[in-house]
Amino acid sequence: MIISYNWLKEYIDIDLTPQELADSLTEAGFEVEELYPVILPFSGVIVGKVEKVEKHPNADKLSVCSVSTGSEEFQVICGAPNVAEGQVVPFAGVGAVLPKDFKIRKAKIRGVESFGMICSKEELGIEESSEGIWAFEEEYETGANVYDLLSKDQDYILDLFITPNRPDCLCVIGIAREVAAITGNKLRLPEFYVEEETNQKIDSFISINIEDEIGCPRYAARVIRNIKIEPSPLWMRKKLETVGIRSINNIVDITNFVLMETGHPLHAFDLSQIKGPEINVRASRKNETFITLDNKERQLPENTVLICDEERPVAIGGIMGGQNSEVSGATVDVLLEAAYFKPERISYSGKKLGLSSEASQRFERGADPNGVIQAINRAAALMAEIAGGKVVQGICDVYPNPIKPEEIKFRPEKVNRLLGSNLSSDIIFEKLKGLQLVIKNEKVVIPTFRVDLRKEVDLIEEVARLVNFSNLPSRDYTEVPYEINQPEQENINNFLRDKLLELGINEAATNSMLKAEEAEIFQQGKNITILNPISDDMTTMRPSLLPGLLKAVNYNINRNMADLRLFEIGRIFTNYKENQLPDQPYALSAVITGRRCPEAWNSDKESVDFYDIKGIMESFLSKIFLDNFKFILYDKTKYLMKGESAAVKINDEIVGVCGKIADDTIKAFGIENFVYAFELDVDKISNKINFDRKYDPIPKYPYVERDIALVLDNKISASEVIGYIDQIGGSLLNHVDIFDVFHGGNIPADKKSLAVRMRFQSTEHTLSDKEVDQTFNKIIKQTSKQFNASLRE
Amino acid sequence: MPEQIDQIKRDFEAEAKDIRTADALEDLRIKYLGRKGHISNAFSLLAEIPKEEKPKFGQELNKLKKAVESQYNTLYESLKKGKGKDEYLDLTLPGRKPFIGRKHPLNQVSDEIKSIFKSLGFTIEDGPEIETDFYNFEALNMPKSHPARDMQDTLYITEDIVLRTHTSPVQIRVMQNKKPPIRMIAPGRVYRRDTPDASHSPFFHQAEGLVVGEDVTFADLKGVIESFACQMFGEDINVRFRPSFFPFTEPSAEYDFSCVFCRGKGCRVCKNTGWMEISGAGMVHPNVFKAVGYDPEKYTGYAFGMGIDRIAMLKYGINDIRLFFENDLRFLNQF
Repeated sequence: MIISYNWLKEYIDIDLTPQELADSLTEAGFEVEELYPVILPFSGVIVGKVEKVEKHPNADKLSVCSVSTGSEEFQVICGAPNVAEGQVVPFAGVGAVLPKDFKIRKAKIRGVESFGMICSKEELGIEESSEGIWAFEEEYETGANVYDLLSKDQDYILDLFITPNRPDCLCVIGIAREVAAITGNKLRLPEFYVEEETNQKIDSFISINIEDEIGCPRYAARVIRNIKIEPSPLWMRKKLETVGIRSINNIVDITNFVLMETGHPLHAFDLSQIKGPEINVRASRKNETFITLDNKERQLPENTVLICDEERPVAIGGIMGGQNSEVSGATVDVLLEAAYFKPERISYSGKKLGLSSEASQRFERGADPNGVIQAINRAAALMAEIAGGKVVQGICDVYPNPIKPEEIKFRPEKVNRLLGSNLSSDIIFEKLKGLQLVIKNEKVVIPTFRVDLRKEVDLIEEVARLVNFSNLPSRDYTEVPYEINQPEQENINNFLRDKLLELGINEAATNSMLKAEEAEIFQQGKNITILNPISDDMTTMRPSLLPGLLKAVNYNINRNMADLRLFEIGRIFTNYKENQLPDQPYALSAVITGRRCPEAWNSDKESVDFYDIKGIMESFLSKIFLDNFKFILYDKTKYLMKGESAAVKINDEIVGVCGKIADDTIKAFGIENFVYAFELDVDKISNKINFDRKYDPIPKYPYVERDIALVLDNKISASEVIGYIDQIGGSLLNHVDIFDVFHGGNIPADKKSLAVRMRFQSTEHTLSDKEVDQTFNKIIKQTSKQFNASLRE
Repeated sequence: MPEQIDQIKRDFEAEAKDIRTADALEDLRIKYLGRKGHISNAFSLLAEIPKEEKPKFGQELNKLKKAVESQYNTLYESLKKGKGKDEYLDLTLPGRKPFIGRKHPLNQVSDEIKSIFKSLGFTIEDGPEIETDFYNFEALNMPKSHPARDMQDTLYITEDIVLRTHTSPVQIRVMQNKKPPIRMIAPGRVYRRDTPDASHSPFFHQAEGLVVGEDVTFADLKGVIESFACQMFGEDINVRFRPSFFPFTEPSAEYDFSCVFCRGKGCRVCKNTGWMEISGAGMVHPNVFKAVGYDPEKYTGYAFGMGIDRIAMLKYGINDIRLFFENDLRFLNQF
């Protein structure tokens, strides 16, 4: 909301500089986002005196003048008919700059030299069009800087952020009222008098019927006849221009001026276009359309407040007038409307229509139902004064259920209780009274323009902001009894994150909103889509963290960074349910691609493969104390490549998957490199982590190792062999591992050699070779039999 | 004699240090362990010393010989492993580095915020990102058609299910399940219908704070925010509270920190005001207490928000919020 400092001063004395005023308003809750002077668009113009005027020898309409600036005299050619000897004028000499960066230079006009220019107001950018040069009425001293003389009246623009609860401050008087409350100076409301034509009564022109009393609790109208449509006077045009409103004509400008002054929206109809006499205010029906004054045909949402004459709608109440009845150059008689519309209804229709106007912004936040008469009279008086109109006697005012000021119970001691302050009742009441609130016993009467004051706390806030928040106490640290109750999830996510970081994987943060096709690849069921997405790139909630990570992979590869290890922990969204919240579990995903080691002169140049991602996952699981996991061959993950994808089971429940991203998936993300990934369901693993760990004693006695190489069928998996040996190994066997896999040589093509290392240890004594051999031989025998394996020599 | 033994040992060690090539090592071997080397010479001197001292020095000399031999062997092995006969270890070549995992800057800042509030006795709470209209708006004193709903452009899943526009719904969920006193923060991801640019992202991160008790005042709110400001950005940071409007607090405030770049003196970043807007705060509105079944006459409380992304941007001097979510390695590797 833009406010002019000079305009504001018409309603209140301000002893503050514009900057001080801006700071005070900010501290009172009206944030001044910008403050800047209204700049006069010229420089170097000084006061000159026209000493001599002679006719130009070669041009009838030009004069050759001599202009004195006190110290010097200049010969100047002037084309204005009103130039005369003795005038004191704004003189732009060589080097002065006029609006639109027009630099004054020495010139020869029809053979006579000219050393400058005598300016009109138009040429100085002070008014739109001027007839002739500007002869000062004031007795300015020659040589004085015109800019300085004029900027004694320098105006400033304050751009205020008005919070939506304060529609009463969307006008100059509203802000003046606040300044009055802040400074204690007295508010000066505009004084005017509506001179009515007694020979005509409004009833003979119109009558009003409110059919939709809920949508329109009050509707008032006046008729002003014989107006003359013309441009507004300069003072009004300038006022509107400084606050950013384009001047249209005197009648429209008056409604806008009163809107900016009082905050109450008005609408002027061309009375000759109204098929009267009855104005009916009703709610719209299904499938009605209407052409608004911006010349657009609009489909009206049902239950929109419509202002209708006897034949058709003529305006959308509180939002925008109609093209069929707008004021035009031919308008002679005006029907002036001032009404009060229900905020919820205006807000609803405005949103559905996608239409927001100065009027609707105020009505939807709440106008003053009791400010109607003041506003309509102010406008009528101006129409008489400026547009030569005759105001017909009377106001047609329909207000079936007058809205009365509310009274709020108020206990001054509550102020200090909530603020932790120590303010006296006198101060408290003084602040409230400053806002034109009336104190009545234990209640405060709220004027109807203050739609934000509904409860006692609202009044406490008024006291607080007028005392100034910076004057309220601050308490260092108060002992509020509390219990430390750290939610599991918070701990778990941090815990998991730290462990992955320790494994050398970078943490990423990716968008939770995806393209539909990106989500589709990872979605098990129905996509969870956004009704009003920002763009096609962000229509669907992520069903997995992988699409975001793959995009990050693509982003980096495109910038020549192809060795990547990234992970993310975040919510994913699955299991769409009609009108219920979807499942939003935390997931953990990681991707790796590129080299196995960071590029260096002496590093391994190989690329990552399945065993890298599996190894990371294994290390990670054991780091988070989940040693009892099992990897199984698992081909059901649609975005992982068949044959190179596995699932991780803990206690027979699948908690995650890992493998190579499938070719078509990788292509869908524009990637050509191989990417390996794993995903874990955080909820499923978190309840299996045993944080209550106890120390295992370090073995006192040495272990003994024994190796065998088994030649067995290719199809038998390593985990089967390890699992079997583990199972039959007995109490002395404490570790089994594969240390080599060998194909070829003298081994048949359908077989492989699996080298198994076993470690035997006792917690009670040093094992003898005999003891070890006994167990070891038993293992060899049973294992060979189990897998039909032979021993490799 | 003992002096000579020590001298040989010292000399050998000093010379061994500079050996870089196999040739030099061979020269060293001949010089000390060769047939006419220093050690051999020392043994021949044994003949000249008294008989009774001979065994003692014999032992000493044997010890020396063994030590020199062992050092020679170590050097020999290490040179053999080197690339070639005349090569030596160029210690200025870069070492083999492992991959390093770095925590995302937003989580670093989030962790810092959490630990500050934990130290002030706050718990950390969490809640869903897709929320019902009730939790995101209704219970926070924003009934349908409330003008304040326009302040936050909302992304909808259905008419009644939204992407939470703030972390405030967590307040409601916690209060529904717990009686006062409450002292919590809820960090998490939130969503707004903002077109991405340098200062807007359609998803970003907030930490919401809530304290409820029987004697919680605006003065406590000021104190906690001031304490946070100093712990996060330094002792010299001032806090300014300005009145504002949020439907779920009354009185409502915006709070500013003195500019973290110029420390309040005024600079380009703070547009010469010396202040930087941080976020909103206020005393919990009685209607919010009513929505969760708390007695507003008995309890008072304060709530505050803060943008984790915004604080991270201030802390690291980042001028484009989108950098957080591009995951450019050149960015991530700086933290």
